[in-house]
Amino acid sequence: MTDDALDPLIHVPARLRIVATLAALPDGDALSFTRLQDMLGLTPGNLITHLRKLEDAGYLSTKKTGNGVASRTSVALSNRGRAALDAYTVALRDLLAGLTASGFS
Amino acid sequence: MNGTHDTSETTTADEGDELDPKAAATLLEQTKRQAQRQFELNPPLLTLVRAAVILVGYGAVWWSVRGQHPYEGPSLAALAVIYTAVIVVLVITAAVFTRATTGVSGQSRRQRGAYGVAFGTAWIAVSVFQGALYHDGASHAIVYGVFPAAGQLLVLGAAAAAMAAAREDWRTLGLAIAVVALGTGSAFAGPAAVWGIIAVGGCVIGIGYAAVQVWLPRA
Repeated sequence: MTDDALDPLIHVPARLRIVATLAALPDGDALSFTRLQDMLGLTPGNLITHLRKLEDAGYLSTKKTGNGVASRTSVALSNRGRAALDAYTVALRDLLAGLTASGFS
Repeated sequence: MNGTHDTSETTTADEGDELDPKAAATLLEQTKRQAQRQFELNPPLLTLVRAAVILVGYGAVWWSVRGQHPYEGPSLAALAVIYTAVIVVLVITAAVFTRATTGVSGQSRRQRGAYGVAFGTAWIAVSVFQGALYHDGASHAIVYGVFPAAGQLLVLGAAAAAMAAAREDWRTLGLAIAVVALGTGSAFAGPAAVWGIIAVGGCVIGIGYAAVQVWLPRA
């Protein structure tokens, strides 16, 4: 197994952290953009760019509530996103097991 | 070429970074643990604080009622200690809760609201029932001894067990059952000793649960 088996959308440091953070929430819960940014330490522009890529792939959904200054954006991992993270985790584990078995560490 | 560019087309700083599989696995695990810690409503440290408060609060009451014959009830000073201890735990719990739930919305928030109403109802009912026991002429040993010490644990522990079972939260279910068992068993010891048994037993259960939280974290 090679690195190509790893989902390229998730296999980027910032997006991996985004998906892993959202996966820690219970099913049915969403996290505000502000809290997510605070937890990850990313700039707003950087975070928005990564969130758009994940949303375009259907891995997460965003919801905007309120108007103007009081508007809030919340982000939640979709079922597809959770499945993608699970698949990524399995593929990563298999890849590392293969590397260990072949003598590479 | 002009000096401006469309930021939406800008490649993010880490897009081209090679992510070594081992580094990815480490990053995934670290991020997962950090997020779980940040969203945790009942961290192990809070559990230990609660265990200490049970020991101090119930212990203070036991100290004030030990050797009472006939049993009269805890002194005002002991009641002040236990109520202060409860307030301290409530304040710390509220701070932890606020930190963990800031920015989180959805089903769990609604569930917590519902659980809060159920729990609050049980607690109020127990307190009112204590008044009814006094009104109906029950002895001091019951009204100011066994019932407030063990009765609260029984009712609130049973409520917590039901909520945990509904969520399939087996760790919390185990804790709630232990609390119910402690309340039930300690009641046989009499109005004075019940406070001491719950002080020590509750503290031990709390420390044990904190250990479970640390060594058997949720998946």
